[in-house]
Amino acid sequence: MKFTISWLKEHLDTQKSDQELIDSLTNIGLEVEDVVNASEIFSNFIVAQVVEEKKHPNADKLKVCRVDIGSDIVDVVCGAPNVEKNMKVVYAPPGSTIPSTQMKLKASKIRGVESLGMMCSEFELGISDDHDGIIKLDDSVKVGQPYAEIAGLNDTMIEIGITPNRQDCLGVSGVARDLSAAGLGTLNKRKIKNNKGKLKSPIQIEIADNQACFAFAGRYIKNVKNIESPDWLKNKLKSIGLRPISALVDITNFVMFDMNRPLHVYDADKINEKIIVRSSQKGESFRALDDKEYHLEDGMCVIADKSKVLGLGGIMGGDETGCTPSTVNVLLESALFDPVNIAKTGRQLSILSDARYRFERGVDPNSVEAGIDLASQLIIEICGGELSETTIAGKIPIINKTISLSIERLRKRLGIDIDEKETQVILKNLGIKTTKKGDDILCEIPSWRQDIGEEADLSEEVIRIKGYESLPTLDIRSPEKVNILILNESQKRISLTKRLLASKSYNELITWSFSSSEESSFYNNLDKLKILNPISEELDVMRPSLIPNLIGAVKKNLARDHNSFSFFEIGNQFLSSNPGDQVCVACGVRAGIKQAKDWRDQENLYDIYDVKRDMIDVINHVLPQKNKLEVIKEAPSWYHPGRSGTLMLNKSIKVGFFGELNPKIVNFYKIKDRINLFEIFLDSVPFISKKSTNKSAFNQSNYQKVYRDFAFVVDSNVDGNDIVMSTLKVDQNLIKSADIFDIFTDPSLGKDKKSLAIKVTMQAQDRTLSENDIQDLCSKIISTIEKETSGTVRS
Amino acid sequence: MDKYKDIHSSVSSKKENINDLETLESFRQEFLGKKGSISLAMKELGKLEPNERKKHAEELNIIKDAVLSFVKLKTEEINNEILDKQIKTESLDVTLSVNSSSGTIHPITQVIDEVIAIFADLDFCVAEGPEIETDYNNFTALNTSEHHPARQMHDTFYVNSETDGMQNVMRTHTSPVQIRSMLCQDPPIRLIAPGKTFRCDNDQTHTPMFHQVEGLVIDKESNMGHLKGCLEIFLKSFFETDSLNMRFRPSHFPFTEPSAEVDIGYKKKGNQLIIGEGSNWLEILGCGMVHPNVLRNVNIDPDVYQGYAFGMGIERLAMLKYGISDLRTFFENDIDWNQHYGFSPLNKPTIFGDLS
Repeated sequence: MKFTISWLKEHLDTQKSDQELIDSLTNIGLEVEDVVNASEIFSNFIVAQVVEEKKHPNADKLKVCRVDIGSDIVDVVCGAPNVEKNMKVVYAPPGSTIPSTQMKLKASKIRGVESLGMMCSEFELGISDDHDGIIKLDDSVKVGQPYAEIAGLNDTMIEIGITPNRQDCLGVSGVARDLSAAGLGTLNKRKIKNNKGKLKSPIQIEIADNQACFAFAGRYIKNVKNIESPDWLKNKLKSIGLRPISALVDITNFVMFDMNRPLHVYDADKINEKIIVRSSQKGESFRALDDKEYHLEDGMCVIADKSKVLGLGGIMGGDETGCTPSTVNVLLESALFDPVNIAKTGRQLSILSDARYRFERGVDPNSVEAGIDLASQLIIEICGGELSETTIAGKIPIINKTISLSIERLRKRLGIDIDEKETQVILKNLGIKTTKKGDDILCEIPSWRQDIGEEADLSEEVIRIKGYESLPTLDIRSPEKVNILILNESQKRISLTKRLLASKSYNELITWSFSSSEESSFYNNLDKLKILNPISEELDVMRPSLIPNLIGAVKKNLARDHNSFSFFEIGNQFLSSNPGDQVCVACGVRAGIKQAKDWRDQENLYDIYDVKRDMIDVINHVLPQKNKLEVIKEAPSWYHPGRSGTLMLNKSIKVGFFGELNPKIVNFYKIKDRINLFEIFLDSVPFISKKSTNKSAFNQSNYQKVYRDFAFVVDSNVDGNDIVMSTLKVDQNLIKSADIFDIFTDPSLGKDKKSLAIKVTMQAQDRTLSENDIQDLCSKIISTIEKETSGTVRS
Repeated sequence: MDKYKDIHSSVSSKKENINDLETLESFRQEFLGKKGSISLAMKELGKLEPNERKKHAEELNIIKDAVLSFVKLKTEEINNEILDKQIKTESLDVTLSVNSSSGTIHPITQVIDEVIAIFADLDFCVAEGPEIETDYNNFTALNTSEHHPARQMHDTFYVNSETDGMQNVMRTHTSPVQIRSMLCQDPPIRLIAPGKTFRCDNDQTHTPMFHQVEGLVIDKESNMGHLKGCLEIFLKSFFETDSLNMRFRPSHFPFTEPSAEVDIGYKKKGNQLIIGEGSNWLEILGCGMVHPNVLRNVNIDPDVYQGYAFGMGIERLAMLKYGISDLRTFFENDIDWNQHYGFSPLNKPTIFGDLS
């Protein structure tokens, strides 16, 4: 919402400085977003007169003008088609900055001819989009006069942000009212002549569907001249960035910004017989003032006549019945519409307009008649004509809202010490009538404050005007504890896992919760994951997996010549777009160079055992389990089937996957490196309470450990872990551990054979193992492994 | 004594030229080995008369002890020489670089952990809610009816599922966590809810996903002065400053009444922002007293209970505290950026340790 200080002062008698007014606006909740001092911007711009114009010697479309700037006569090269001798123009001397382009002018040669300064168009001055020609000023202005002075731009423009509840401040008078309530001056009510009008309106108004239109006031005005607006009106509109169009339109705009009362004016001769306010029917359409054709749905509130739709009530008028310079008879509309219907229609048709903006926030019902009176008074003054009486269809609602306010509750909510008298003064200044009833104050809410609905709203009014700086700063610590636990188990798991992985040289990334359907299709069916209004095609589904975005990060950093990647993200992947259908996953990716070749080591690449180790470290540190975890040789389709596994708890819970990303997916990204990754479902495993992880008594054997190495030749598809497990099972008391320390293949071993060597640690709890014990164990191990793997021991 | 004179003089003469462990060992063998002269002499003792035996034994033991202590001392001496020689001759180029790689914690995670640490100290717990929400939880229950103009300011993402006939949304703020928490918990309530939020907006200063932290306090007493006190402690702790200019300014959120926006003072020193001091204002968060309608919607009696809520952007906090100038870089996943702005994993913010 924009206005100028001088416009504000038409409604507010005040001695306060501009700065005091600006500060107060923000303090009462009308946040000042911009202050533009027009007289400063235009300080260099003056009135000049073209005394001579001739063709540019070197350019067809340019002219060289001798321009009288008062103090001197200078040459200016100009390309405007409308430049002519004796024309009075706006002149910007070298050194001035053109507002719309922020270009700083300097003396220059244009196609070989000296040019000093510039004659400006409205576009260049930032007052409209018109750049077809330079501004032609009225002949009465004096050469050398500051342009800001004659344009009435000698003023400060203020733009404030209006929160959705404060529809009452969408007009300058409302802003003045709020400032006066805050003690910044006295509200000056605009005097509107009560001109009854003698004519009888030939146009009947009927509300056929009053669900959306509460009241429609119309006034017929005969024999008007739709001339150009007088300067005071044009300048007012220009000062807040509006483009003057014609007197009739400008007057309605002025009334809208002055008193927050949207109006519409029809060319009455184009209305077929009568105005009918009704619901639209699907299939109807009309061309609006923005020159676009709108196709209507059922139930939109339209203003129609006997044959056609004229406009969308409260949103935008139609092109056909709009006023033109040749308009003679008009119908002025001042109506009241249902905010919900306006909001719905506006959204459905995506029409933004100043009228919609106001009506969907709620317009003061009492402005219906005041607005039509002010506008018709201005029309008579500027355009002439004869007024009819005002016809009102429907009924202007009478707002009669009374809210009871308890001073005690007010103090309790705000934490301030305020007395009844001060409260009543504030409320009264806001236009709220107060009466005492018992301990409470009965507050009669004025028609323009439809946002005030209950006591809590009044508490905001009181503190807003008293000033938020009067709020105390109170201590919130209390001796009684509200919460026993700060983080729950799954929050702790996430936090620990993040820091564990980062300590293992992973960089934590945070990627979008959405991803592209093309890349995501490898991971799940996407039917239930679609975003209806995605920001782009690449981000059109809720991510079914964290992998695609992390691979995207690998690809991006590859392009930046990185060659080693350790990334992880902990976040949600989505099973469907139903609320809560999300699973928390820790996903880690390692690819590229693990160890660069240096003076000590050879180059070494990441492989699946790196991510397997990381995954198991997470389980051991963050999700310790008493029950059995094992890796099975299965994984989802996005993994390389021969290089991936699943970590299972109790043979039933999938704790996580690890392995190499399926080469077909890697190929899709045109990445050459192998991508190793793990996915851990942090919430999949049960929480082990501290009590159950209490350690058992420490019981160490004092007897000697014995180590024996074995090598077996087995089929190459025999799994190492099977041999380890079988070995351990030979004697669970005496065999403490079995570890594979060597694997190799060689043609001498036979086709599809490999050699696998294990180191077995034996120890008894109660004695030193005898040679016999050891021999016995060794033969059992050999026979067991040979039997189970059909392998042979190597001697 | 005469009897063992030969042995004694042999020991004395032979111990002179011992310089290595091998010679020392043969020296030891010569006297104390199985067939060593002292060992043999010891065996002979048994044949003597008890009186004689005692006397001879004493003499022999003196010689034996001398040999033993010599061997012990000499062993130490030779070992020392060997080690001295080793130390003198060995050396490695310690200036060679070693491969040290470090991972990083994302600034968003770090800042959320900082926020949690501060509020944990003020007795707030951490609550969460899903990223996809019902229209009801995201808007209606928060006193933002279907046609409320505030909805248009949210640029909501919609997804292809419905709840009670309304399209589900990607939550536009963390405020629906208020609703979820109040529905499953009775007052007193003190919580914060950090998390991801989404708006259909993508430009220099907006990303379609960003992070917020919500705060909610409901009990019988908490008023707007407590809200001010709470935010003052938080902002002072977060920005690690004792002096903080803070301004409450009236604003509007459908789910709070009165509502306020909070600005903090700052000044510019070169290219650096100094937070807390100065006369320029920077908007940092929105807050207010929970609207009675919100309490009614979760079956809490607004005549008995009241409280406050606040919400702020994590990225903004991170940018201000750590001098990150471009919002979009948080999600660009550029390794160099992460290495530059990321945090050490051991740098977990705590009140007892360092916050940042």
